[in-house]
Amino acid sequence: MTAGSERRRQLRPGLWETVNERYPGAMISKTDTVPLARLDKPLADARLTFISSAGVQPKGTLPFDVVHPVGDYTFRRVPSDASPSDLEIHQLKYPTDGANRDLNVIFPIERLQALAADGLVGGLTSSFFSFIGYNMDVKRLEATLAEDIADAVVADHAEIALLAPA
Amino acid sequence: MQRAVEQRGIATVSISVARDVTEHCKPPRAVFVPFRMGHHFGVPFHAELQRRIIVEALGRIEEVEVSGDIYDLPITWAQARTEGRLIEQTMGLRPA
Repeated sequence: MTAGSERRRQLRPGLWETVNERYPGAMISKTDTVPLARLDKPLADARLTFISSAGVQPKGTLPFDVVHPVGDYTFRRVPSDASPSDLEIHQLKYPTDGANRDLNVIFPIERLQALAADGLVGGLTSSFFSFIGYNMDVKRLEATLAEDIADAVVADHAEIALLAPA
Repeated sequence: MQRAVEQRGIATVSISVARDVTEHCKPPRAVFVPFRMGHHFGVPFHAELQRRIIVEALGRIEEVEVSGDIYDLPITWAQARTEGRLIEQTMGLRPA
């Protein structure tokens, strides 16, 4: 195996086919791409938001419904100045052994705060956005949750967005 | 999700540990890391790697010219784990 193919090899192969075989239609498959939005300023001047499907949420907020058979189509705001100790994870569908020791491996809030403090980006939106990745109704996901978060991101004056689909 | 945000005029980039899923979803820009699920930004306490992944991803916003781009970050999970173990040893979290 070459170094290049090693880099392209995912640790759990065949994920899309495996899930789609078990839950037909639950996996997104697109035939087209969307036009690129162009950033008209340097990254150092751009306000960054972070969107995660890791089920991270502030302690004390309504836990995501992780056992609902078709998923939870709500999202939570996570203050971008929060500390990892302010947050907890409600999610069943990915291993959290790393995140339980250092939340930054899936929700890198301290790294993002440092990037803004160091001036690599122009700042952070007041909130980051979090939901759970286990949503089996793709049409509903795209029609509701995706649009709701996109609207919230715009309202929070984001100019660039980093996403981590857990 | 990412496509909906991009369509609002906000430049986006995502981190993927499932290249096949990303190929199906066709987000505007993605960075693939060959890491375990739930470990998109690497391993615990490896702040330098966590930061590098974010910086490389944000750089794609300035680099990518064609929508649907997937960039393979030149790193392996074994490398990340080895570096993480050394960091934990230095921090006294793991015996040398």
